[in-house]
Amino acid sequence: MTRERMVDARLHLLSRQVLDADGEPVRAVDDLELVGPGGQPARAGAEVRVGAILVGPVLFVRLFGGAVPVSRQPRIAWEDVGHVGTAIELTVPSDRLDADWVEHWLRDHVVGRVPGGRHDPEADG
Amino acid sequence: MKKVLGVALGVLTAIGGFVDIGDLVTNAVVGSRFGLSLVWVVALGVVGICLFASMAGRVAAVSGRATFEIIRERLGPKAAGANLVASFAINLLTLTAEIGGIALALHLVSSVEPRLWIPVAALAVWLVLWRVKFQVMENVAGLMGLLLVGFGVALFLLGPDWGELMRQAVPPSPPSTEHAAAYWYYAVALFGAAMTPYEVFFFSSGAVEERWTAKDLTMNRANVLIGFPLGGLLSVAIAACAAVVLLPAGIEVSSLSQIVLPVAQAGGVLLLALVIVGIVAATFGAALETALSSGYSLAQYLGWSWGKFRRPARAARFHVTMVVAILLGVGILMTSVDPIAVTEMSVVFSAVALPLTYVPILVVANDPQYMGRHVNGRVVNALGTVYLVIVVVAAVAAIPLMIATGAGS
Repeated sequence: MTRERMVDARLHLLSRQVLDADGEPVRAVDDLELVGPGGQPARAGAEVRVGAILVGPVLFVRLFGGAVPVSRQPRIAWEDVGHVGTAIELTVPSDRLDADWVEHWLRDHVVGRVPGGRHDPEADG
Repeated sequence: MKKVLGVALGVLTAIGGFVDIGDLVTNAVVGSRFGLSLVWVVALGVVGICLFASMAGRVAAVSGRATFEIIRERLGPKAAGANLVASFAINLLTLTAEIGGIALALHLVSSVEPRLWIPVAALAVWLVLWRVKFQVMENVAGLMGLLLVGFGVALFLLGPDWGELMRQAVPPSPPSTEHAAAYWYYAVALFGAAMTPYEVFFFSSGAVEERWTAKDLTMNRANVLIGFPLGGLLSVAIAACAAVVLLPAGIEVSSLSQIVLPVAQAGGVLLLALVIVGIVAATFGAALETALSSGYSLAQYLGWSWGKFRRPARAARFHVTMVVAILLGVGILMTSVDPIAVTEMSVVFSAVALPLTYVPILVVANDPQYMGRHVNGRVVNALGTVYLVIVVVAAVAAIPLMIATGAGS
């Protein structure tokens, strides 16, 4: 994926924009989840890797402290990441990501229902 | 030929779009109290905004990343979050002032109370954001804003003593009746009005909206380097009109009708009508820009999808943010607060927030990972560093000066 390039978590991953397979913005990387071998919880002294990109409420935890229940934590699996550049590009469309549920909810229940909400502004008029 | 027309259009909209309610009010107030003795601040501010707007435009065109994405990435969530809160609040204050400005201008021509115009103005702003294509929105508002040239016409019709105006400007000589602290307070306010951070958010996000690439850099440079200084000249014309008519009469500007008084005196009803249309267009255009900027900054910090080039449903959170911002602005105005006072506040707080926006742009414009061979040259970096110092000084001085002078009174 990175071909011998060193990836610095703080410099190249955290707070980077995440784009889906169509190049649409999803979220910014709010935090990273580390896991041990075989998906075990990360343990001190053992090998760990990035398991997932965390978004949403975890940002407030990073800013103000506290904790988010693991079941309520929106995550994007690291397996879905295709490329790490000035943005992090996913190999899946955002419609398939639970992490983007607020956008989907607002689209389906609010913005999409207002007349003109699905109008393409680049088409004439 | 098409390219020349494109550049000309860009330049013209940059001129018409340069002046907003902050520039209008601050320049008129300053002109009526200090004559042209603060013109050097307008010049300083115009060079600064040219420098950083073209830098932000270049970063956006080359890397595809808009300003607040970069602020978050470079400063991290904490510092960028604090920046977001401050920028968003100031942006909201500016949006409020612009919507109030539209209402005041419409009040001048209709004698319908401004408070009745506020919801109409806000609804019109939202409809344009919801429906109109980005380029059309930019061009119409910018071209109609050019009618503010009426201030320049008025200045010539007034037939002022040009020698006297020059004497006020170089070397800067404020009237002896004014306190030095008030002079410097308005210097900071004028600087904040010229360099308002929302212009940079808007400019860089606009570059992404219009899908600029490295090929468009010449156009970017022409728009900024020709358009903004000419827009700055409009600001000076506003101040000069006030200096010629209001300063000798001892009128201190506290309403929009006083700002346009010199125009009415010089050019009669026709010129006044044209200038008021120009003011409506300029404040309307700036209301669109500030509303968009509130959406841009929040969406870019959190990484949401944003932009007018998307269907509203594909940038749902972005559109909801703008609606909420407009409603908050209307709510503030409905308390019957004076929009002119809101404007004066917003430009001073803009000055406070300047370093938060301009430092990260300068840093990223030097990062080859983003910029490739389009990183800053030496001259730009030297100028940028000088401006950072000025910006920091203005930011630090703003609040103490505000307290010391009782907000300039």
